[in-house]
Amino acid sequence: MNNILEVNGLKKDFGSFCLDNVSFSLQEGCITGFIGINGAGKTTTIKSILGLVLKDAGSIKLFGKEISENEREMKNRIGVVLDEGYFYEDMTMMEMKRIIAASYSNWDESVFKGYISRFKLILNQKISTLSKGMRMKYSIALALSHHADLLIMDEPTSGLDPLVRNELMDILLEFMRGKGKSVFFSTHITSDLDKVADVLLLIDEGKIVFSEEKDMILDTHGLVKGDRALLNEQTRKLFLSLNETEYSFEGVTNKKTAVRQQMSGVLIERPTIEDIMLTYVGGNEDVI
Amino acid sequence: MMCMVCIKCINSYRHREGASMKIIIANVSDKPLYQQIKDQIKDAIFRSELKEGEILPSIRALANDLRVSVLTTRRVYDELQSEGFIITKAGKGSFVASENLELLQESKRHMVEVKLTDVWKTARSLKISKEELYSMMDLLFEEEDE
Amino acid sequence: MLFNLVLKDFILAKKYIVFIIIIAIAVPIYITASEVSNNGGFSGFFITALYLEHFLFATVSVAEEKYKGAALLCTTPYTRNTLVKAKYISGLAIFICAYIIYTITAFVVPMGIEKLNIFAFGSSLLIITIIWGFIIPTQYKFGYEKTKYISIIFIFTSIIAVPNILKWLNSKDISFQVAIPQIIQNLTPFVFALGIGFISMILSIQIYSKKDL
Repeated sequence: MNNILEVNGLKKDFGSFCLDNVSFSLQEGCITGFIGINGAGKTTTIKSILGLVLKDAGSIKLFGKEISENEREMKNRIGVVLDEGYFYEDMTMMEMKRIIAASYSNWDESVFKGYISRFKLILNQKISTLSKGMRMKYSIALALSHHADLLIMDEPTSGLDPLVRNELMDILLEFMRGKGKSVFFSTHITSDLDKVADVLLLIDEGKIVFSEEKDMILDTHGLVKGDRALLNEQTRKLFLSLNETEYSFEGVTNKKTAVRQQMSGVLIERPTIEDIMLTYVGGNEDVI
Repeated sequence: MMCMVCIKCINSYRHREGASMKIIIANVSDKPLYQQIKDQIKDAIFRSELKEGEILPSIRALANDLRVSVLTTRRVYDELQSEGFIITKAGKGSFVASENLELLQESKRHMVEVKLTDVWKTARSLKISKEELYSMMDLLFEEEDE
Repeated sequence: MLFNLVLKDFILAKKYIVFIIIIAIAVPIYITASEVSNNGGFSGFFITALYLEHFLFATVSVAEEKYKGAALLCTTPYTRNTLVKAKYISGLAIFICAYIIYTITAFVVPMGIEKLNIFAFGSSLLIITIIWGFIIPTQYKFGYEKTKYISIIFIFTSIIAVPNILKWLNSKDISFQVAIPQIIQNLTPFVFALGIGFISMILSIQIYSKKDL
């Protein structure tokens, strides 16, 4: 499997916040979910990859080559959706599109028109009058209309209703049907990733915590619920995170077999991505 | 120590030829996801629900349908191929391998052997005797007959 | 590709187009009506061009600050360099628009507005290039918010100072001009303008390439 994106030792210091030695790879043909709480460094990392933010150190290779040396060629193959859109709001969708389309050598007007009619957008409308959902759909239409191989999105679903989020996930799955396509998107709404992610990349306080296959990490961890009385010095050690109430507890473990052996009558469920994220994120006082 | 089994999703996948493949993923099993999927596909092949030469859904299609990662379905297909159950032809897709009777029989036997060994180990650790074990087995067969 | 970026600037300034055209027509008329200018239509044209440049750059800068559209554009194959170059070309484009409007006005309005001579044209270009050659990189470096007052000050100062300086120069009747052939005299401001514009552009490119968006 090729690595479509390789980030190595990325560092960026903003004074109050910094990216600390961020390294990871994106596998081709996968949807990689970039998760983390607000302020963890997702947007900064993505902006660094896109060249919007200049890195202090590190290398970023796209399709096997350094971005800085092949900028135009690389950018032709990337579709971008940014959270705030960064559109000129006074312009109509048509005007904005004309500017953007002109930069891509593989712009496909028929594909674009297809998306626009599918999303029921009216191109002559001013961007400022669009709802958040429509704006995101417009972003996607722009990002997917030049035969991009990699789709990079920064919080594309924040502020959107579940119906639209679902639609977007379906579009991503459709996109992935093509050969050699990959998606990298950051979000803190992890329920979207339950449906579509292949790989999860967790960042916290500027550092990468893990990069794992989604199913793998959900397989090896368990969400345990049971009687609080079952917790003792021994059994506490089995948990990565614990939440205790007066009579019961809930915790995440990566030692399911041991838990089952040592604690009778507990319920062990498959965790959600959110459970995993909360377990591994710093500042969680219950992490042992 | 049986826990409640929560069914994550029951999906029946229908493809062009009209056959269907049901895969049930148990939320609470200790078995890794790819193992569950792999075993169920194997079962489907054993029970002839998936016929010799029949085309399987693509890795991506299966992943989308079951809401699992493509890396998981890829692993399933890779292992099924190395174990001789399916054949993947580049550009064409994955197909159920021509039934190699001996191979299948052996696999089936092997599966039962593995499970029996498991049972035997558990019985031993709980100090259940051979006789008790046999009578338990008899009971099971009797119940089935009823 | 550059064309579309220049178009972008004009689209952003679209709201003010009518206003701009009115100014471009009114200024020469006003200047001609209010003073006897004998410097080849310089005053009228220069002030017109100045206003137009200011409008274009100010409107675009405000829009850019507000919407940060440049960020999205930088993720496309438009490189940062192209964005900077386009800005300068926009400036040139509007200068040419100013010329066109001025000339048309001069032909159409029966007020005896002086037609532009080439030296006046070149000098306007030079002075405007000097002003924006300074403003643009400064703006890239420090952002529009901090520098917007600088450009307004510059412009008002030039509107008052330049014609007066020229008058003063003319009244001194400097005779060194005689030694140099006319054509070179005419070309000199263009050459300088080009040089300064080019240096400014390189500077801007350097500054912008180091900016976090």
